[in-house]
Amino acid sequence: MRRSTRDAAVTSVMLAPAVLILVVFVVMPLCVVAAYSFAQRDAYGGVVPGFTLENYSQLFSGLYWQVFVNSFQLAAWTTILCLLIGYPVAYFIAFRAGRWGPALLVLMLVPFWINFLIRISAWVVLLGRNGLINGGLTAAGLTEAPVGLLGTLGATLVGMVYAFLPLCVFPIYAALQPLDRRLIEAGADLGAGPAETFLRVTLPLSLPGVLAAALFVFVPSMGVFAIPVLLGGGKDIILGNLIVQLFLEFRNIPLGAAVSVAMLGFAALGVVLYMRALSRIEAMR
Amino acid sequence: MSGRPGWVTRRLVYGLPGWMTAMAYLFLLAPIVILVAFSFNEARSTVVFTGFTLDWYREVFADRNIARALRVSLIVAAASAGLATLIGALAAVAITRRRFPGRTLLATGLAAPLVLPEIVLGVGLLVFMSFSGIRLGYGSMIVGHVLVTIPFATLIIRAAAASLDPRIEDAAADLGADEWQTFTRVTLPQLAPAIFAAFLLSATLSFDNLVMSTFTSGVGTTTLPLRIYSMLKLGITPEINALGALMVVANIGIVLIVMGRYLPLMLNKPRPVEPERKN
Repeated sequence: MRRSTRDAAVTSVMLAPAVLILVVFVVMPLCVVAAYSFAQRDAYGGVVPGFTLENYSQLFSGLYWQVFVNSFQLAAWTTILCLLIGYPVAYFIAFRAGRWGPALLVLMLVPFWINFLIRISAWVVLLGRNGLINGGLTAAGLTEAPVGLLGTLGATLVGMVYAFLPLCVFPIYAALQPLDRRLIEAGADLGAGPAETFLRVTLPLSLPGVLAAALFVFVPSMGVFAIPVLLGGGKDIILGNLIVQLFLEFRNIPLGAAVSVAMLGFAALGVVLYMRALSRIEAMR
Repeated sequence: MSGRPGWVTRRLVYGLPGWMTAMAYLFLLAPIVILVAFSFNEARSTVVFTGFTLDWYREVFADRNIARALRVSLIVAAASAGLATLIGALAAVAITRRRFPGRTLLATGLAAPLVLPEIVLGVGLLVFMSFSGIRLGYGSMIVGHVLVTIPFATLIIRAAAASLDPRIEDAAADLGADEWQTFTRVTLPQLAPAIFAAFLLSATLSFDNLVMSTFTSGVGTTTLPLRIYSMLKLGITPEINALGALMVVANIGIVLIVMGRYLPLMLNKPRPVEPERKN
């Protein structure tokens, strides 16, 4: 008996800091944000407690709704491009790279370890009016004068894919790598061509990794704010920019809280969809 | 698909992953190489390399604001990584070794900041601080960075704790060691590499953090990424290239230290024997 009480005491001491930090700095703040999203603002950027749905109804009005559409489109394109590029890369590392596999994986980590802003600034340099890409285009005779590459949606998209590609390769690689090679060989033995083997054996088996990759890319990409500002010129803003502006520039905390709750909703929806798709895939096997 | 594709087509399709991989690595790594190369460029231009210079590096080292921001970043990274590693290690060992009600809930909770959008966590802290009247500064920023890094610290240490052989601890107990002695002399030394890795990863993530810092920094606690962000918004200068190149070298240095220690271990680790599959 004495031993078990002592054991329980040790366990609580070990857990107390983690529980404390989660409750005080995650759960409680999120509750405050949720409560504020129903409040009103006063003229000085403060919050007037109360209950109104005005903030949420504002989200569906023209300008703000456009931000949601922008975010969704940009996140969708980023995810699609990352998967289209990331899948072949993961496939190559898992099946073809042989003893170079570990080295390629480490190289894939390198951009990950370099400050995100520095990597984006490299693209500002490359895409700039006096940048290397414009220089190349002019030298090749494709364009006469430098083209405005920065400040376009395309530049934002390049930056997004650049930032999220490594996050996409790893889950797909993790799903492909342990695949039983004998299953793939069996497909070939049963008379399927390489394309058919890939579409009917390899791809379905790696779908959980593809789904995880999509989850890792889609949800966080809506919350990015630096890339649309630095590469997109701040023209097509997304949810991340909206949250930064509402909290730090316009001081409209209730509306910002409503946008944050919506963002949280998207994240939750993403996780739920992922779980459902995953269990459906598993049920099919 | 109609008929058999020709030899050329098959060859192209087979080679596709290889080509895509080469292009992807070019896409990922070339900008970094170019950034480093142009940090030595004499001219302000970023197209033509006119001559070698170290002027931009001199400018970086002379920049008071950068020095101050670096100091803030280092303080926050060391403090938050230390806290995240300590809290994460205690929780990780408890989760893998002890039974208590709500174990899965806590494990999920500690991984939650991975799925919760960081920007919402940042907003939450900002609102919470103003709600409870706490001034933004080192405190709020360190707490914010602990939230961002604790999932990684916990996951790394949990993985290591789960792979420990409990029989070694039983042996220590059999040989007369009490619980504390077993923990400090047997369990902890075995976990030390993972704890070190967790600390370094947390420190790096904190050092690079922009989103959480945007919402939790106060007057006088501008971190290096925040400083770089405002410099970039004003326009790119070769000074940023030089600063970036320095950070690239520092980051790769840290990675090499970690990898140099663990990569050989990881690669030489004997693969577990797979149980025979029954078909």
